[in-house]
Amino acid sequence: MNNNKATLRTALALGAVSLGMMSQLALAAKKDYLVTAARPDKVVVVDAAERKVVNTFTIPNTAKGNSVAGLTVSRDGKVAYVVHNRWETVSGIDLDTGKEVFRAELSSPGIRGKAHFAIDVSPDGKELAVHVSPTKLKLGEYEVQDPYIAVYDTSAGIGAEPLRKLPAPRRTTTLAYSPDYKRLYAYSWDMVVLDPQTGKQIGVHPWRSWKREGYGEPDTLSVSPQFEQANEFATPYFIDYTDKNGKKVTKAGVWSLDLAKDKVRFSEFEGELVMPFSTVINPVRRNEAYTAYTQLTKNDIDTGKLIKRVDLDHTFYTVNVSSDGKELYVGGTINEIAVYDTETLEKKDTIIISEGDQVLSSMRMVQR
Amino acid sequence: MNHMKPMNRKAHQVEVAMEKGDTEEVVAMAAVVGCATTFDPGWEVDPFLGVAGLCQPMEADLYGCADPCWWPAQVPDTLHNYPDWGTGKDAATKDWAQLQAVFPE
Repeated sequence: MNNNKATLRTALALGAVSLGMMSQLALAAKKDYLVTAARPDKVVVVDAAERKVVNTFTIPNTAKGNSVAGLTVSRDGKVAYVVHNRWETVSGIDLDTGKEVFRAELSSPGIRGKAHFAIDVSPDGKELAVHVSPTKLKLGEYEVQDPYIAVYDTSAGIGAEPLRKLPAPRRTTTLAYSPDYKRLYAYSWDMVVLDPQTGKQIGVHPWRSWKREGYGEPDTLSVSPQFEQANEFATPYFIDYTDKNGKKVTKAGVWSLDLAKDKVRFSEFEGELVMPFSTVINPVRRNEAYTAYTQLTKNDIDTGKLIKRVDLDHTFYTVNVSSDGKELYVGGTINEIAVYDTETLEKKDTIIISEGDQVLSSMRMVQR
Repeated sequence: MNHMKPMNRKAHQVEVAMEKGDTEEVVAMAAVVGCATTFDPGWEVDPFLGVAGLCQPMEADLYGCADPCWWPAQVPDTLHNYPDWGTGKDAATKDWAQLQAVFPE
């Protein structure tokens, strides 16, 4: 009997070890995939390490003379949600089959609804939030309506209607759920914190209302959501600073918000007139922020030090980072993604992803 | 606003509202007549009011200006007014020569 018990314990222990190993292997087996879009109607999935396009899907029933704007992917990496059809439709594309599994029309008779870059899917993948700007098309005039955040059930399929509409500030260019679903951030003239269920404002991180002695009003353009790797929203900005002698300089900086901790940090890293367009935070060395445009920069956001800057082959809009924090993927504008080393900012590779241009389509990272 | 002068009624209203502290009452249409969602109505300059900081080459940014109706004074907007301007010409660096000038109807 004792022998049987010992055997059972050994078997259970071995089983637990092998289960642990399996889950380790499963974790280890997960790879980074970039998900973006390209003109005229493509959703593209790229194996980042292999430098290879693994899937190209066609968005059905869309306008082919335009491009995808905002794009977000469920955390399990299974469905990409895209704003398309001249920004009047949101579709969910299954990243295994290419099938359209969700579709919501933002316009209706007499109302033209537009979304652009502010779109995010809840951490559990069950809800999709889209910022919509409606305009009433009257016989002799257009009448601006109040914008809102449409919240959809992602399982609603084709012809989805909002579960609820939350009041939202105008000029919202980014929506981002906190990882615990307790907060929905809407980045407008301030970073407004909303209750994702009721839309009630539960906080704010000042931006336009940001007051610092000697500093003017910051200026930014945040249309490239790429916060998923570090769970930290980040955007470059410009700000005028006037010193005690009255001398005015324009500084560039990075402003970021930890979506898990609801904590802001920022620093101005240079006074030179160089243009950054979008920013990503390294998920491993979290003090490192990278900006992309016609140059790629590496900055220490905690000390405000510009660590390195290199010229890119051309202008890019977006930048994302690998899960191990070792590689940068620079995309947007034309049809390629350039790969750079985060330590040295040396170029490692180029991935041609499509025939058509990516334009301003978001470039997101998922693990599968 | 020292470098800018209002040229039409709407711009004048914005300036007056700013002076009175009533900026919020001037509704900047987030989707201007269903276009110009990004609302940069003038000519493109960089944040320093020059052109050295603009995209390079311009073809890299061509659809980035046309597709969101970003600079409707410079590039035909493909959101509404010229929806087929770039149809079938999806790579600006290769197809730019096929893109034609447009004229208001």
